[in-house]
Amino acid sequence: MLHKRRMEEMWDYLRGTLLLVSFLFVGQGAHWLGCPLPGSVTGLLLLLLAMIFRLVRLQWVEKAAGLFLRHMVLLFVPVTVGLLEVGPLLKQSGLAILASLVVSLLATLIATGLLSRWLLPYDENSTVNAGPEMLRQMEDR
Amino acid sequence: MTAAGFFTLPAVSIAMTVATYALGLRLHLRWRWIPPILVAAAPIICLLVVLHEPFSAYNRGGAWITWLLGPGTVALAVPMFRNGIALRPSLPRLGIVVSLGSTVGMVSAGLTAWALGAPRAVVLSTLPKSVTTPIAIEISKELGGIPAITIAMVVITGVLGASFGVTILQLLHIRGARATGAAIGTASHGVGTASLVRRSEREAAVSSWAMAAAGIFISIVATILKFFLK
Repeated sequence: MLHKRRMEEMWDYLRGTLLLVSFLFVGQGAHWLGCPLPGSVTGLLLLLLAMIFRLVRLQWVEKAAGLFLRHMVLLFVPVTVGLLEVGPLLKQSGLAILASLVVSLLATLIATGLLSRWLLPYDENSTVNAGPEMLRQMEDR
Repeated sequence: MTAAGFFTLPAVSIAMTVATYALGLRLHLRWRWIPPILVAAAPIICLLVVLHEPFSAYNRGGAWITWLLGPGTVALAVPMFRNGIALRPSLPRLGIVVSLGSTVGMVSAGLTAWALGAPRAVVLSTLPKSVTTPIAIEISKELGGIPAITIAMVVITGVLGASFGVTILQLLHIRGARATGAAIGTASHGVGTASLVRRSEREAAVSSWAMAAAGIFISIVATILKFFLK
């Protein structure tokens, strides 16, 4: 029945979201206790370990995680709007800050990119295979 | 309702953000070169400026969306896990690449700011600019930088990397999921990674591994650096 499938799908999203939030809280707890990494990164690493050791199954979190990731750009919008506030801060050493930002972004991209071209050479089938799979996931929303 | 009262409801800014994001996404799916994050943020910034509203008014609702970055970051474990087996042979080399890339990023950021005469606190604020926001804020505080400057730099770095990073890499003939993912994840953390999700899952997975590795590496470097700064 359509209705029942709908309910199961909602449960899937709910269970996944609850798991993601629980791991976030565990990570934040660890941070509060003195772990130098921020809560979200510790939570990410713990969830990864939990999946590797099969304490958490991929399909429990897959749906919810897919939803978060597809729309992750949305989650960065308010922080970007917040750039409105930094105008006064940039007045003092704005040029130094902007120059440092652009130089470092280019240097990091180029250095990492060139190093990877050498150490992690082109893997042809990867991009080709991954594309359609993601598109299918996007369309079955 | 007066213009000033417009933003008192958190739901208003949430709805507005979702709407401009939907527009940005639609334009991005039609014309791939349009960065959705800029389309989403620009109208809201303009509206706030026109209405003379502070960011804090908008952020009453905006903060709810920002909070979701927490579970969103945890969710990156899924592509990391799904691609982990295929990537496992390259993970140690990825670690080396990311560590060297992060070092180049920190040194070039600090040196440029220093050479242009920025005060010490500003130079220190530039160091963690390539890592994800929560880590960057912590490091900036610990080193004696100014967190607000670091946040701005992190966000601008992310947005620029997400918007133009892949194009820059392609100009240098750097292709392939591992090279693209490593460079974007190291240089522009979560915002860059988020922009790769729609290109290819594998790139996003490598980018997540790179972002996590860069965060851990720079946290360790900062802990060591702290002793020399005292």
